[in-house]
Amino acid sequence: MLFNSLTFVVFFVVVVGSYWLLRGWETRKNLLLAASYVFYGAWNPPFALLLFATTALDFWLGGRIGAAADPVARKRWMWASVASNLSMLGFFKYGNFLLENTQWLLARVGIAYQPPHLDLFLPIGISFYTFHSLSYTLDVYRGVCAPTRSLRDFTLAVSFFPQLVAGPIVRAADFLPQLGSARTLAPNQFAWGLFLMTLGMFQKIVLADTLLAPISDNVFGHPSPVLTLDAWAGVAAFSGQIFFDFSGYSTCAIGAALCLGFHLKDNFLFPFAAVGFSDFWRRWHISLSTFLRDFLYIPLGGNRVGAVRAALNLVIVMFLGGLWHGAAWTFVVWGLIHGLCLVVEHFFRTVTKDAAWKETLPANLVLCAITYVVVCIAWVFFRAANFEGAAMLLGAMAGKIPVGQAILSGREILQVALVIVGLWIFHWRLRDTSLEAAIASKPSWLIGALWTVMLGAIILTQGSGNAFIYFQF
Amino acid sequence: MPSSISNFDFSRPIPALPWRGLLIATALLTTAATAAWEISARARGYAPTLNDTPDLWADRREAVQPDSVVILGDSRPLFDLDLDELEKGLGSRPIQLAIAGSCAFPNLEEIINDGRFRGTIICSIVPGMFFAPGGPLEKSATDALKRYRERTIAHRVGHQLGMLLEERIAFMKQEDLVLAKLLQKIAVPNRANSYLPPDLPPYFQTMDRERRTRMSDAAARPGPLQDRIKHGWIPLFTPPPFPEYTPKEVLEGMGRAVEERFGKVAALVKKLEARGGKIVFVRYPHSGDLKVLEDKATPRSAEWARLMRETGAPNIYYSDHPELIFDCPEWSHLSGPDSVEFTKRLVPHLKKALGK
Repeated sequence: MLFNSLTFVVFFVVVVGSYWLLRGWETRKNLLLAASYVFYGAWNPPFALLLFATTALDFWLGGRIGAAADPVARKRWMWASVASNLSMLGFFKYGNFLLENTQWLLARVGIAYQPPHLDLFLPIGISFYTFHSLSYTLDVYRGVCAPTRSLRDFTLAVSFFPQLVAGPIVRAADFLPQLGSARTLAPNQFAWGLFLMTLGMFQKIVLADTLLAPISDNVFGHPSPVLTLDAWAGVAAFSGQIFFDFSGYSTCAIGAALCLGFHLKDNFLFPFAAVGFSDFWRRWHISLSTFLRDFLYIPLGGNRVGAVRAALNLVIVMFLGGLWHGAAWTFVVWGLIHGLCLVVEHFFRTVTKDAAWKETLPANLVLCAITYVVVCIAWVFFRAANFEGAAMLLGAMAGKIPVGQAILSGREILQVALVIVGLWIFHWRLRDTSLEAAIASKPSWLIGALWTVMLGAIILTQGSGNAFIYFQF
Repeated sequence: MPSSISNFDFSRPIPALPWRGLLIATALLTTAATAAWEISARARGYAPTLNDTPDLWADRREAVQPDSVVILGDSRPLFDLDLDELEKGLGSRPIQLAIAGSCAFPNLEEIINDGRFRGTIICSIVPGMFFAPGGPLEKSATDALKRYRERTIAHRVGHQLGMLLEERIAFMKQEDLVLAKLLQKIAVPNRANSYLPPDLPPYFQTMDRERRTRMSDAAARPGPLQDRIKHGWIPLFTPPPFPEYTPKEVLEGMGRAVEERFGKVAALVKKLEARGGKIVFVRYPHSGDLKVLEDKATPRSAEWARLMRETGAPNIYYSDHPELIFDCPEWSHLSGPDSVEFTKRLVPHLKKALGK
């Protein structure tokens, strides 16, 4: 079920209405659990069983980790959870990718191998709910949370519908405590939740799907080279599209959870204002970057193991981060670009650590612009269908292809420029504050007008609802 | 006692504003603005009707039975055929599966490859569209097919809810009144030598749950709307120039795809006929400058004649029969009343072609 669909509107009204009308916290939790499985099953009912199987296995393994006194046994149970989760993810998401690459490698050494093509249907949101579930056993192992005794509560924590299929990656350790006591209905919190849902829908439906997606789709899908201006406009459009798409989903999820009395953390903090790549990853898909930091980078030794090993750790983490997004080498290259940029930035920070100029506004603006440009170059690999397409677009961006075509209208170029520059200014102004603080500082009438305009634009856009980009991950 | 412990102490801040009042004010203002937009749309001649979505098409595709009569093709059979008249004449209510602005080939291939189908296909051929290799014309057809194959429960529910609104609200016109289309009306100069797709014609039809389509009265009578539609066809039917740099393999691939299509259609016809199914190809009326353009770009002696020769299938070319020559008010489709009359006159030819 998509947030930007009439089905969800009706579903949400029914669920929220019933939830607050019901008496008894246990009954409400049962309702939420049933609603979450309906939300997921409305896409493909059999895969709800897979979701439950993952959850039940991790519930049991979490209990074993908690009960084991012997550190070796604890570690074995933890690895069992990691292996089972990653095997399932690997089978559905990377099965064909692995077979194709095995075939390629064997062919290099002269072995002809024809692998079977696995006709697999990727369960929606599998990358997200696998990490929701896995975070529980890893946090139990780390001692961050105690194993829960309630399978129902854990199942709800993994499947809670606002964040189920496209994040944020909510850790069980952050969610389970909220199930411990009844949520209360606070009218202001409820209305603020609705405002956030409107903002999220506006980002997705109006800004991502209507103003930017057709332009980036046109440029990335064009079979022949385009002019430099068109190439940059297309890539800039994609940078905004993916932000509004994913941030819009996260904002909707946070708002929907608030309407039900739950608090989810931010997943984006004005990433267009990032100065450097470490800053970018503190602002972009925060729930994934903190997951990778806590469960991969730090266990690998983090930055406590010498400069070379720390650099290698960064590259490994971003390599796997890229692969998490999709079973293709283009995603790996995207991750590696980010990994290498993080290493270069670390080196740069080390050699300029006492330089006062770094703290000046002009320097920060220039570094922010450089970060944005490099992030855009990396997006080319993320979005392009293959390396040939990426190379053609990068060539056009660099002005190396003299025969490109002008495929965007004047209005489209103006549209991208206005949205991206507006987004950049908005993020820069808010980079050291929060959305809540910015809203609180504005007069009520302005917020009311903004809310009305966003709702009006959503109604005016209509449409049948395009899937969120991150659903495919 | 909580079932779990952690260091979780996060609580989202709520901006200190009168949110209840804001919610009520926003709801009232949005309702008023929406009502005003609806009144404005109706004042400009829009009326509630369904959008032709892939879900609506998928509904009709699901209704196909092994012995059904189905209509495939582009917008011409959609506008020009009257289902009631066809039912009277052929004894079976046809299922409308033609899609505006589409190449019929993917749907023809799909339905014939559905081994259960042994019914009758009335397939429109507009050569410039039927032989288009890839691009938006094929995409219109494949998008509908994709939805038919991959429909989820959520899609079905959303579609039913959407139809309830579209049948009551006039401004829900995906092809004309959505924000994306309204933005396109902002006049911003384009660069010289831009390679831009032509604008699609504005809203000019109504459609029901059976996908029965009727040209609106405003489009059927001379006036600004009719002029806009007429002049929209010429750029749409003019093949775009190939880009200055088009990879050789792309050009060769397109040529190969067109060539292969003749053979593929012939094989499909044979396959359908082998299991007792029937097919008739139809060329529908068109007129004015559009006819001049089509006759020049895709003369009857070229693609049409070759396809009929290679398939050996029965066919009806409207201009072979004086009673089927109609004047299309906007050059490409018949008005509502004319579509009924045209279908009445077409039925005997269909019966003869199908051996009924």
